[in-house]
Amino acid sequence: MRRRSPSLQVLRWALIALAMAWSAIPILLVVLSSFKEASQIFEVPFTLIFRPTLENYRTLWTARPEFFRALGSSAIVTLGAVLTAICASTLAGYVYARYRNRLLSGTAFGMLAARMLPPIIITVPLFPILNVLRMNDTHLLLVLLYAAFYVSLGTWIMRSFVANLPIELEEAAAVDGAGLIAILGRVVLPLVVPGIITVAIFVVVFAWNEYVFALIFTTRDARTAPVVIGEMLGTVEGVQWGVIFAAATVQLLPVVTLVIALQRYLVSGLTAGAVKQ
Amino acid sequence: MGMVDAARVLSRPRAPTAGRVKDRRSARLVHYAMLCPTLVLLLAFLVLPAIYVGWLSFNTSTYGQDSTFVGLANYAQLFADRIFWRAFWNTFFVVNGIVYVELLLALGLALLLSGPVPGKAIIIAVVLAPYAITESSGIVMWRYMFEPDIGLVSHILGGLGLGQLDWSTNPVETLLLASTIAIWHHLPFTFLILYAALTTVPRDVLEASEIDGATRWQQFRLITLRLIMPAVLIAVLFRYIFAIRTFAEVWLLTEGGPARLSEVLAIYLYREMFKYHQFGMASATGCFMLVMSLVIAWPYLRRMYGEVMRSA
Repeated sequence: MRRRSPSLQVLRWALIALAMAWSAIPILLVVLSSFKEASQIFEVPFTLIFRPTLENYRTLWTARPEFFRALGSSAIVTLGAVLTAICASTLAGYVYARYRNRLLSGTAFGMLAARMLPPIIITVPLFPILNVLRMNDTHLLLVLLYAAFYVSLGTWIMRSFVANLPIELEEAAAVDGAGLIAILGRVVLPLVVPGIITVAIFVVVFAWNEYVFALIFTTRDARTAPVVIGEMLGTVEGVQWGVIFAAATVQLLPVVTLVIALQRYLVSGLTAGAVKQ
Repeated sequence: MGMVDAARVLSRPRAPTAGRVKDRRSARLVHYAMLCPTLVLLLAFLVLPAIYVGWLSFNTSTYGQDSTFVGLANYAQLFADRIFWRAFWNTFFVVNGIVYVELLLALGLALLLSGPVPGKAIIIAVVLAPYAITESSGIVMWRYMFEPDIGLVSHILGGLGLGQLDWSTNPVETLLLASTIAIWHHLPFTFLILYAALTTVPRDVLEASEIDGATRWQQFRLITLRLIMPAVLIAVLFRYIFAIRTFAEVWLLTEGGPARLSEVLAIYLYREMFKYHQFGMASATGCFMLVMSLVIAWPYLRRMYGEVMRSA
């Protein structure tokens, strides 16, 4: 390859540093400031060296118990949505990978087209109906909604993972007398674990962070953490920045860790797909 | 949420070899049963509600009132509403701004990281981080920096004599900040698609062109850009589809204020539905958004329809 001049190399690294700063600084400012006293939060210049305090976390715990209840709701809803989406899309993905006819292809395309639908639209007909059914403000509703909006993607991902398995393994198992359930459970499932992890990351990030549906369909019992953080920002008596920072930090920590730890599934999922095209 | 679609698109399975298809037994009842959980979820929460919205948009109704068929009256009222058109043009400028600024940033970043770069895994991890942040926390972060008079960036801009971003009272500047936050959130998505595409550009083609004396710009324009064009189009398409839905960024900054001047379509719909309880108007707005999305997605959907049905 062409040799790069030193000045170009400097420019290249300066731009990379800029991109990292753009991504990370908003997050780091909030995480760091969550350990500051209220008087220090808007101090100029921003101090990196300070005596950290847990005061904001203490206030969050005592004055905002609804935040931790919401965090629990988020956890329940995320877990439910992930399990539902994985089960549904693994089963469907297997069928789409192994069988083909016009009906199957038609529904596969329908799934793809359904993804174009702006989610907020469905709140109009669903809200009054769900009110009558007393489904509003329940964990179950959010689980089903979140799963519904990700099964199509999940199915397409699982279909591509199953399609890449040699069918001979299943045929050999069938010759040995294994039934469909045994083939799925003992042959296919262990080999598509990376696909399941990929689907799981997408659904976890979505369900844990989703805002619009949670804002509309929950009031108290199933309120999730992103909505409560939004409410804390909108209080009339003046925003308690330190406490919000503590809440945001607690909320983002698990999922940011997960995305960074499992980033190769995001990247390699995309890369592998692109190579195949 | 956008990254997802790219993964789906890019991880499309290969067409099966002819021999395998012939060996395959036809799908039995049990296989259709395995599709049921997925199809029931999609029918119950996407397809049927979307059809019902279409019907509702021809009716007028609210709580405690039977719906009456009014034909196109909701659409007439919608298109006569200046606030609706304000929301439409706000959405138009926000969406186009987001899509193309984000595309340029993502392309630049993907090119920077496409070669061998020491510490690449760490760099990509940092760049991906905003993808994992919830919208409301994203607003917290950016408001902290841009809070009038006291925010860090407000101070810096003031110190440079640039004044500060008046996002809380000036609708143009509200939308500017909202778009910036949206770009911050979704850059990882566009970056990943383009980065994945760049890794497929064959090195030997670039090297051969170098021997032929191509300049770096010629290499980029004539080889790299052409090879990654499908990925660029996919990224642009999905960002359009997702940017049309923009809600939380504006809602959590100003709720569409002052005087509804910074509303986008999703906020207009939300207000009609949940503040004024005008189901018909909300439905008409929803149908309008759906048609916009489908028009933009049309070339892509048509191509995918051909591919999916061909393999049937």
